[in-house]
Amino acid sequence: MKILPTTCPACNEQLKVKALLCENCHTEIQGAYDLPPLGQLSIDDQLFLLDFIKASGSLKDMAGLLKLSYPTIRNRLDEIIERIKLAESTGKSNKGKNL
Amino acid sequence: MTEISPNSGTSTRNRLAQWLFNPFMFVAGLPALSAGLAIILISGFFCWLGSTHFDGVLDCHIGLAAQWWIFPAEGLIDWILPAIPLFFFGLIISKSSFRLIDVFGTQALARWPYLITAVVMLPGANQKVSNYMIARLTQVQPVAAVNFADIFIFALAIFVTILMVVWMVVLMYRAYSVSCNVKGTKAIVTFIIALIGAEIISKFAVAWLLSNMR
Repeated sequence: MKILPTTCPACNEQLKVKALLCENCHTEIQGAYDLPPLGQLSIDDQLFLLDFIKASGSLKDMAGLLKLSYPTIRNRLDEIIERIKLAESTGKSNKGKNL
Repeated sequence: MTEISPNSGTSTRNRLAQWLFNPFMFVAGLPALSAGLAIILISGFFCWLGSTHFDGVLDCHIGLAAQWWIFPAEGLIDWILPAIPLFFFGLIISKSSFRLIDVFGTQALARWPYLITAVVMLPGANQKVSNYMIARLTQVQPVAAVNFADIFIFALAIFVTILMVVWMVVLMYRAYSVSCNVKGTKAIVTFIIALIGAEIISKFAVAWLLSNMR
């Protein structure tokens, strides 16, 4: 499976979605769409969240299964939450500019 | 059982370095508290054997023989006094919610280098050289001769002790940083304030403890 890049390899800026394709009828939609906040996270962060959801949102279970301490898992989650908030606030300010 | 892929974990590279300098990535809470308290008590036992006093958060002195319980009590004072202000500083500067048991548990475990200090202070040569130096300085006791081997063992013990102090301070900071999720200037400044404050108070607390012993 190809990994969806989220940042520009040249300047490290956030990438946007330019085209969407329907594989059934080959309809193609072009535009400049923001990635959803979760999609803007790094692959590592997305995988962490995936594991977190699979563990029913239990930090304790995550800590046990990843063999890391509870505060390490909680700190990582807090960092991701901060990044999501930042992505959301950037998205909102971009929407404001476009209006 | 929930299936969890290992790819969201921390890289296994430098795992040994992390265990040495930031074990709190892997251990915190009740396991850290249990291990830390066990280490403090075992260190207390070795200190009793060698008459080594941890008479302050960072202090280590070869001194007078005392009742056995004084030594673990010193260790407990040295653990609890910095842990309390660090917990409150964490409440003030951390944006995360954190657990009391993580702060106290990791601070207890952070004192484990002092177990090594307690062991290297065991040889009688340390006591001998220490007595010799005190006698030379105070000139009130007859000076017992020391040989080269005694001085070498003493110098080695001092060298190891200095390394252990530095290592313990690094661990104490890491423990604070991980358990309260704090980093940067605020974390460093509050840690230094807590450490200096605890060091001063612990000197008085241990002095009070020793005065009650007699």
